[in-house]
Amino acid sequence: MRCLLAALAAVIFLQSPAWAEYSDQYFEVPEGDRPHDVAVAPDGTVWYSGQRAGVAGKLDPATGKIERIPLGENSAPHGVIIGPDGGAWFTDGGQNAIVRVDPETHAVKVWPLPPERMPYTNLNTAAFDGKGRIWFTGQNGIYGRLDPNTGEMKVWDAPRGRGPYGITATPSGEIWFVSLAGSYLANVDLETGEATVYEPPTPNQGARRVWSDSQGRLWISEWNTGNVSVYDPASDSWRQWKLPGENPRTYSVWVDPDDKVWLTEWSSNAVVRFDPETETFQSFPSNRPNANVRQMLGRRGEAWIPESGTDRLRVIRYASKND
Amino acid sequence: MLRLTLATLLMISGAAMILLSGARATEPGDATRGQRAFQRCYACHSVEPDEGHLQGPNLFRILGRPAAALPGFEYSEAMRRKAAEGLVWDRTTLDAYIADPEAVVPGTLMSIPPVRDPQERADLIAYLSLSGQFKD
Repeated sequence: MRCLLAALAAVIFLQSPAWAEYSDQYFEVPEGDRPHDVAVAPDGTVWYSGQRAGVAGKLDPATGKIERIPLGENSAPHGVIIGPDGGAWFTDGGQNAIVRVDPETHAVKVWPLPPERMPYTNLNTAAFDGKGRIWFTGQNGIYGRLDPNTGEMKVWDAPRGRGPYGITATPSGEIWFVSLAGSYLANVDLETGEATVYEPPTPNQGARRVWSDSQGRLWISEWNTGNVSVYDPASDSWRQWKLPGENPRTYSVWVDPDDKVWLTEWSSNAVVRFDPETETFQSFPSNRPNANVRQMLGRRGEAWIPESGTDRLRVIRYASKND
Repeated sequence: MLRLTLATLLMISGAAMILLSGARATEPGDATRGQRAFQRCYACHSVEPDEGHLQGPNLFRILGRPAAALPGFEYSEAMRRKAAEGLVWDRTTLDAYIADPEAVVPGTLMSIPPVRDPQERADLIAYLSLSGQFKD
């Protein structure tokens, strides 16, 4: 059995002059956790969804110590984000529920989805709007909203049925999601729940995940095309770029506080950073094969990467332009 | 010939009990329960022959089929590699794959919320075993 403590491999690489230094570090998690998603709290604590083990993982990067909190019978958490209340919020496909873990007490609170509507929605990811409500997607064809203060939960059928996947909030608190099977971007009305579909330029592109930059532009990882695309609601315009390499497969996207776009690309087993100012890519391959990175999240100067295929968390630390 | 959809077949058969090896299941797989378990797969797979591939390959007549064998679907390198090693989808290999896809095919694209209960896996395989069995 592998050690719960971190196995560290910090290396400094020299790269292009435009973005010279970064460090790369890996933390092993208990074997079989299969970390699917990751989130970083403001104090630097890192949470991951241990999908296969049904646990919330909590890593202290300073010591490498990992605590595991069981989320319930049949739990299989997919996504994790840090809420405005500081809690770790999970979309738990196994329990078909939204789950909160208190960062101090580790108390677990579960809000099941209404089973009479659909017994199993295959919950994917979640995002908080500007009013403290958590919105979520279910791949079997739903999206929904939970108000944690009242417990009120609403679920809507998604346009085109199966497919709702990544979801994000803009700085102004608007909610957008994408559909992998439906190949669209959608904006939801925060009160009525109505979804308005926006069609990316390439049909059947397989929009898998979405993230907002500081200007409210929506960046999308396109699985089928290997593109990263961006929609600007202010100008109602699209742009798109093909990731480098042969037959790229763009799985996930995260936009850092410097508005640099981080992507995970499966054909090259790498994390790829895209600079919209120079329209250039920089690749950071994993040091093990089959990393299977399905998501990224971070904070200023830290890009966190769950390697579901190797049972590790990876962090790329870099100098932020605002440091 | 009469073509029956899976849903119709299940309605006719009621609690259709299909005898399976079922791995470590305590009783034979139940296709009706398996139809519910298939909700875990529904987002990415279809069992209807006319529906084609989704994000995952069509599972119509999956039992007995070699891995990565369907035309028109772009399988991962990991799955193609396993196919070259002779992986065939029977009850045993499907059970292991559904239980932990990464363990059976390292690098697989499939990410299913784990089906830990062997009985539920047997039910799911019973449901999949119906696909194509009474067609044509």
